[in-house]
Amino acid sequence: MIEFEEELKKFHPLLEVEEAERYIHNTDVTDLVDLMISLADRYEMREELMGE
Amino acid sequence: MRCYRCGAVLTENEFCTNCGADVRIYRRIIRLSNMYYNDGLQKAQVRDLSGAVESLLQSLKCNRNNVDARNLLGLVYFEMGEAVAALSEWIVSKNLKPEKNIADDFIEEVESNPTRLSAINQSLKKYNQALSYCEQKSYDLAIIQLKKVVQSNPNLIVAYQLLGLLYLESKDYEKAARILERGIRIDKNNTTMLNYLKEAEDQLGERDGLQVSSLQKKAPTTHAASDSIVYQSGNETIIQPINMPEKVSMSAVVNILIGLGIGLAVMWFLVLPARIRSAQTNANDELMEVSNELTARSADIDALNKQIASLQQENEAASQAIESLTSGSGIVEKYDYLAEAALNFIRSPNDVTTTAEMLARVMGDSFSVSQGSSAEENYSAAFRSLYDYLNTQVTDEAAKRLLDSGIAAYNNGDFNQAAADLENAYQLDETNDQALFYLASSYRSAGDSDRATELFSLLINTFPDSEYVQQARTYLQNGAESDRTDAGAQAAPPQEVQDPQAAALAAFAAAQAQAAEEAQRAMQGLPADSDVSAGAAIDQ
Repeated sequence: MIEFEEELKKFHPLLEVEEAERYIHNTDVTDLVDLMISLADRYEMREELMGE
Repeated sequence: MRCYRCGAVLTENEFCTNCGADVRIYRRIIRLSNMYYNDGLQKAQVRDLSGAVESLLQSLKCNRNNVDARNLLGLVYFEMGEAVAALSEWIVSKNLKPEKNIADDFIEEVESNPTRLSAINQSLKKYNQALSYCEQKSYDLAIIQLKKVVQSNPNLIVAYQLLGLLYLESKDYEKAARILERGIRIDKNNTTMLNYLKEAEDQLGERDGLQVSSLQKKAPTTHAASDSIVYQSGNETIIQPINMPEKVSMSAVVNILIGLGIGLAVMWFLVLPARIRSAQTNANDELMEVSNELTARSADIDALNKQIASLQQENEAASQAIESLTSGSGIVEKYDYLAEAALNFIRSPNDVTTTAEMLARVMGDSFSVSQGSSAEENYSAAFRSLYDYLNTQVTDEAAKRLLDSGIAAYNNGDFNQAAADLENAYQLDETNDQALFYLASSYRSAGDSDRATELFSLLINTFPDSEYVQQARTYLQNGAESDRTDAGAQAAPPQEVQDPQAAALAAFAAAQAQAAEEAQRAMQGLPADSDVSAGAAIDQ
């Protein structure tokens, strides 16, 4: 049985032309590569501290 | 593939040969991203658009710089009716890879038709408005708005989803099923729509079952269970008889007859009047054309009749002109008279009287051709020259001879001959007072006192200085009286007429005697016989 109210929450407003610019600027989100680089940087930093 | 730290091209080693960075995890992440891209591509190829979107979004979560995945995501968005989202993805892709990017073509294709893009944007606004109505519980308004959306942007999957959900909420399962089936034809594996469609079909199935059971319960009262089969098709309940009786053929015939009657009535009341009006209109048009043509022909006939009348008038005028030229008094005859006169003058130059009479016939009653007269215009210059020459040569001589012969006849007592000769002489020379006096005297002597009185008066008025005026007055005073007393008697002798002084003395004496007689009568109280005659005598 479908819950109408719950289903309705899944719908979101669509992107209009006036909002396209804002959307484009917000696409620079963090991806897995960014997380990996961040983790790698932290790991190297910890290795350096332990070595000292 | 390049190193995420230094950007150098990676080899098969698990580290970067340039900077030594460990690239094992990086390789796995890139491979995962590509795997999601491939999955999304496969789903897109079988029109599982929503599944493709999910896979491509996962691909971009792994590697946001995956240009192929972003371009494909834009293409899938565009196919799902979300053109603005598609453009945004392509623009981001263009920023990531400015050169040799297929996103250029996509962007150019969309921007080449701004009207279409504007229409899609309007449909997206309406969808958002419908969503707003849903939040406000205005489901009817949302349904109306979404109907417009699917009409103007038939690929907008979310619109089909939301409209189907709203139909489900309003218990309109058939419409929900229809709109969801339309959406599923675009996005074949959209799980949301499939769930909604299943719900709609389930609801429809449950309702059909209830209806069938209720009909079965009512069957004993309406139909015999063995006579019909009842089943549901959508909202319609179909009751099919098992054994159709043959009696139905009679009702079919009746229905056919009724249908034929209705058809004939439609023909009679709808089709025939229209045909009749059309035929009348055509007939009126033709009649108008014929009338116009007839009017034009009538105008032509009138013009031709006028032309005929004009030509007839011209013909009559020409005939009259010809008649005037060739008739008894025509110009041809005038030429003949002139030729005869000329011939007579050549043969008998001394017979001027005959020549003058012939010349007189040339001009009819007028014995001369006056300059500038209308008759002159009808004659040629040669005719006029010949006529003038003959007239000059014979007129004076003829007048003189006629005068002499007239006077001679008068003296011989042949007053009629004298009057005829003198009449011609005076006509030839109207300045001759002698001819006029003797002419008047001839008439007087011939007994034509009226003509004589007329000519004497003419003499007195025309030639007041003439030597014959006194004699004329004397005649006018007592000549008429003597004529009355001596009716039938011979007039005064030519000698008396030829001696004007004696005649004047005689007239004076007669006037004195008459005056004395009248004075005596006046003394006796008697009225005068003729005051005018007495006055005139005293004046003399």
